[in-house]
Amino acid sequence: MSASGSANYEYVVARVRSRRASLFSDDEYRKLLRMGTGEIARFMEETEYEDAVNALGSRFSGVDLVEYALNRTLAENFRDLLRWSEGRLYEQVARYLRKFDAWNAKTVLRGLYSDATADEVRSDLIDAGEFSEDFLDRLVAADSIESVVELLDGTLFDAYIEDAFEVYEETGTLVPLENAVDRAYYENLVPPKTGGGEAAELYREFLEAEIDFRNARNALRLARSGADVDPAEYFIDGGALFDRTEISQLVGNRSELVTRIRESRYGDELTVALDELEDAESLIGFEHALDRALLEYSDHLSYVYPLSVCPVLAYVLAKEREVDNIRAIARGREAGLSEAEIEEELVIL
Amino acid sequence: MFDTLAQFVTILAEETGSSPAIPQGAAAALAVGLAALGAGYAERGIGSAAVGAIAEDRDLFGTGLILTVLPETLVILALVVVFAA
Repeated sequence: MSASGSANYEYVVARVRSRRASLFSDDEYRKLLRMGTGEIARFMEETEYEDAVNALGSRFSGVDLVEYALNRTLAENFRDLLRWSEGRLYEQVARYLRKFDAWNAKTVLRGLYSDATADEVRSDLIDAGEFSEDFLDRLVAADSIESVVELLDGTLFDAYIEDAFEVYEETGTLVPLENAVDRAYYENLVPPKTGGGEAAELYREFLEAEIDFRNARNALRLARSGADVDPAEYFIDGGALFDRTEISQLVGNRSELVTRIRESRYGDELTVALDELEDAESLIGFEHALDRALLEYSDHLSYVYPLSVCPVLAYVLAKEREVDNIRAIARGREAGLSEAEIEEELVIL
Repeated sequence: MFDTLAQFVTILAEETGSSPAIPQGAAAALAVGLAALGAGYAERGIGSAAVGAIAEDRDLFGTGLILTVLPETLVILALVVVFAA
């Protein structure tokens, strides 16, 4: 667990691959789909979620138990990744896992905005990023959005969130703050283009794919909603597919946007999804297809370059998907959705 | 300076006569040593991957052990050279 010395890809990749292989399969999801929330918790007790379910079992039940167990296991898993990695690998994984810092910052802001209690907010935080436990506690204890912004002084989000706070004070909506947090994360994600050799190059390729997909999703959502928002404002720098000026034009013209994605390097993985999008009007289907394509692309990268950071990042993505899927099933069951409806919400490779 | 060097070389050449710079036994030892070095380097990566796999699943101990020592064959083959020499 240090940033010095050489990277230990072999060790980390072997462990990660083993964990990747033990993620839930199609069959297990299908089994889960037929269960009630209590049964889901019991089923999870027999898997790697055992510790979390046992630890939280006395305090929560039903959907809450499932949800908190998922969050806790996710955080433990990603802390493990950091514990194992050394050298450059540690640096790259840590940089990527700041995603959870962004998530935590947003959760705290949303909690304050919606007057949630500190306990509720704290239990929704995922303790996997760079923020220490103490710092998270202090964030949760803050009594206004302004003091959260002050607390974030000196972190990655500093410069972005200060400007956004002024906008927030004028408009009273949370969107600019959330947007600032996301932008801060993504724009610091891709390391500068100088040097670093093949390892850095691969890392960049992976992250560019993620940013491209995020941009594509935002663009399509905007195109779909027809809202009168300047797409350039929501654009995230650092991708390879679009640039800021292009995206404004493409949002106005959906078929051109689709063609553009089809002709890009992700075209092969996305063909089916793009056909679907052109035929149907459903954006949800396409977004899930994007998720699936990103998963496939990350797996592809991790097989082509086995001794690199790619398998680790692919695992992070896959694990997040699993957690999202189980949560969707548990929440869907609770809300009384039918099996078919829930199945549509799942992203399974 | 160059004179003395030239003299030294001549003396050396006279002393060793026509025998090679590295005698046969030493060459064989060198071959085994280099092979062992290569095997060690190969085992470094495999070993750390094997330990990672075993940490996740203890049943992989046998497989991990076998894969880890596979490059050891390099040294065994290199040992043949000693007897051939």
